[in-house]
Amino acid sequence: MGMAGSGGDGIVSAGESLISAAAYEGYHAMMTKSFGSQVRGGESSCRVRLSTARVQNPGGTLDVAIALNWEDFLKFGAELPVSGDTVVIYDSKTGVEPGQIPLVGVTPKEVFAVPIGEMARRAAGTDKAKNSVVLGLIAGWFGIAPGSIVRGLNKKFAKKGPELLAANERAFHLGEEFAKEHPLATPRAMAPPTSSGSKMLTDGNDMCAAAAILAGCEFFGGYPITPSTEIMQFFTREVWKYGGAVVQAEDEIASIGAALGASFAGKKAMTATSGPGMALKTEILGLATIAELPLVIVNVQRGGPSTGLPTKPEQSDLFQAAFSASGDVLRPILAPTSVADTVDVTVEAFNIAEHYQTPVILLSDQEIAQRKETVDPIDTSRFTFIERKRPTAVDLQSYARFRMTEDGISPISHPGMKGGNYQGAGIEHNEQGNPTASGKVHAAMNAKRFRKLAPLQRRRDLFRIDGDPDAPFALVSWGSIAGVCREAYLRATAEGLAVKLLVPWLVYPVAEEIYREFFGSVRAGLVVEASHQGQLYRILRMYVDVPRGVTSFARDGANPIQPGDVVARLRAAALALQSPPSAQQIACEE
Amino acid sequence: MTTSNAPLPTYQAKDYKSELKPIWCPGCGDFGVVQAIYRALAAIGRPPHEIAFVSGIGCSSRIPGYTTAYGFNSVHGRALPIAQGIKIASPELLVLVAGGDGDGFSIGGGHVAHAVRRNTDITYIVMDNQIYGLTKGQLSPTSPKGLHTVTSEYGSLEEAVNPLLYVLAYGANFVAQGTPADMAGLAEVIEAAIRFPGFSFVNVQSPCVTFGEDDQQVKNHRATMQSLAKLGHDPTDRLAAMGLAQKYGKELHTGVFYKNPDPPPTMNALIKERQQVLSEKAPPRSRIFDRFLQT
Repeated sequence: MGMAGSGGDGIVSAGESLISAAAYEGYHAMMTKSFGSQVRGGESSCRVRLSTARVQNPGGTLDVAIALNWEDFLKFGAELPVSGDTVVIYDSKTGVEPGQIPLVGVTPKEVFAVPIGEMARRAAGTDKAKNSVVLGLIAGWFGIAPGSIVRGLNKKFAKKGPELLAANERAFHLGEEFAKEHPLATPRAMAPPTSSGSKMLTDGNDMCAAAAILAGCEFFGGYPITPSTEIMQFFTREVWKYGGAVVQAEDEIASIGAALGASFAGKKAMTATSGPGMALKTEILGLATIAELPLVIVNVQRGGPSTGLPTKPEQSDLFQAAFSASGDVLRPILAPTSVADTVDVTVEAFNIAEHYQTPVILLSDQEIAQRKETVDPIDTSRFTFIERKRPTAVDLQSYARFRMTEDGISPISHPGMKGGNYQGAGIEHNEQGNPTASGKVHAAMNAKRFRKLAPLQRRRDLFRIDGDPDAPFALVSWGSIAGVCREAYLRATAEGLAVKLLVPWLVYPVAEEIYREFFGSVRAGLVVEASHQGQLYRILRMYVDVPRGVTSFARDGANPIQPGDVVARLRAAALALQSPPSAQQIACEE
Repeated sequence: MTTSNAPLPTYQAKDYKSELKPIWCPGCGDFGVVQAIYRALAAIGRPPHEIAFVSGIGCSSRIPGYTTAYGFNSVHGRALPIAQGIKIASPELLVLVAGGDGDGFSIGGGHVAHAVRRNTDITYIVMDNQIYGLTKGQLSPTSPKGLHTVTSEYGSLEEAVNPLLYVLAYGANFVAQGTPADMAGLAEVIEAAIRFPGFSFVNVQSPCVTFGEDDQQVKNHRATMQSLAKLGHDPTDRLAAMGLAQKYGKELHTGVFYKNPDPPPTMNALIKERQQVLSEKAPPRSRIFDRFLQT
């Protein structure tokens, strides 16, 4: 279901009420919001996808499209795609006749011109109740949880007084009645939810912050930047309760600097930002690598370069995360693929940072970070939390902070620990931490810093691989697009295509062995991602012999990739394999 | 440092001196500064492992390595944010920050105002030599206008930054200046700064023997310095302090420019209070997700 209006129409608020009611009923649900970059006014939209099964992604073409005005609706283009199966509902105040709606080249299944604004004014005396009318229409036509929606309205307006509540309830019922008086030609009521029991309703940014606190993070340094700011906001509300602190710093550099200081002092620390902020944090990221200090850095990616598309998702900061550094640097990059697994990935980011004494980049994206999703209640006892390796009393008798060890991990002290005194530094140093310009020491220290991360590349639990291991077709995807590919994988499999799917949480360093093994049976496939260059595809090719038939399916951010697009390409690849090789191909192979 | 019942001075200056040999040129003012820091720390008597000493990049930023404290010789201009992170994470530590005038008032200049207003209990010592020494003699933010250097062949076109006036105007509660020409006085202001509860700033006129001006050497300091105490300056008078600070670059005043007689609570104190109030009714960490349940 996709809805759009202008900023003050409350269309996003309607989506929130709807998804909240659905979550309460036990439906699986997902909601993405999309705005122009204005603070107030301008166009705003949301997509809500409800299901009795788990929702993997925001979906493709709309079943229901709601336009409070056409001008704003059309600004979202491919983000709100209407097809021949879509039921279109719009505010008739626009004066547009149902036969004349401005959707080029498509005839929706059904079109309803509804006097939404007029009904709102009739019920509540104000246009502001339009969202309640919309909710009534949805409940009436599609049978979605009217009781829970009204219950939600009660909660929402509880503080605003009984009059406002009554007015909105009237608006809701007007919508519901309208729908009943004008039934759909083809009824489309939602099936009741299969699971009972209410779910959590949350987004990736809140899950990231909450998981960080769960993992024992006691310091957050941040600077406001869309679309990551909610992480800092959560910390400012909660971290004090657990003996921690948060600093909204004067800039991106200071925010990572303070977090690194907290880590030097022995505490788990984090900072969060988006691409432009990452650019500024890069120097101190290098310092964290050479000083071997644990630190979690979240980059909620948005469209780039520079200011780019601040409110839209893209996966184009992978090169930046992997390669933006002076010197030889290897730092782990983890990517969540959903709101729910943001929790696991965040805990893992802290564990890796602490265990390997390294900065870890958690590469989220705007969609995961800001979409609302139902998540089953989390049993926190399933997590283990790793702490950095401290020096023993024996170590402290002749302590060397950067002692050469077999696994490259040296016990780390912190100020306050007697006998652990050392010099942390951005300058190359010997085992004791003292500055050096020796090429021999530099080479040995570089080797140590790389060696310690080698075991990471063998962590199979940081990859999810589905499907027949011998399948000739493959999908590889990461981040929010992985959910699109998971649905594509299920659909393609249902169609009889022999396809398997690899989704990494660990995006970098590239786990060469795992990919080599995965690609072993593969003759054709796609690496699917939301960027112009296809950054994951290109990084994989740096490290792995990707089969020739595996190509990049990359689309610039804010141009959604739909499961159907992926399946269609797989189908085409399958057909190509079935046709006899061309003369040219034979010549090449000979 | 708030030490109402300071421990007995069981440490001597030499206990804070590391075995590393400084990279500084013979006669560099920074030798005096590090000596003054040893003395101040001995007078305070905190064990070295309870001290975190943070610096940026530059000749003077090598200074933590010459002490036995925990040191962090970080990156150019970022010592203050790192030090504040340390102090907020571990308020029981004594946190010192040091660096040059380029580190503090050029590349890192944006952090000073915020360190002041954040008012964590740290001490910032700037070794001000009006030149970039480590990179061999370029203009610095405190270089006097017209100075000829390798990056100002025909004389600099910019006014010098006035560190004292800046920091006073930012609202700092403790501002002092010293010179290695007066070791006793320098150790004394550093000690007073460390003991002051809240952000404290000491500007040290620390001459560069290699690239500095002839009239800016220790010998000249000895001849021209004027003790603020002897001038009868009232260090509780911020406006008077700002008046005197305007002479920066022309006259060399030593001692305390300003010390707030009624210092506001430090950020550390405010954080502690907030943590105490809020932790009382907090659910355990393991229940942090409960708030998201749709009930």
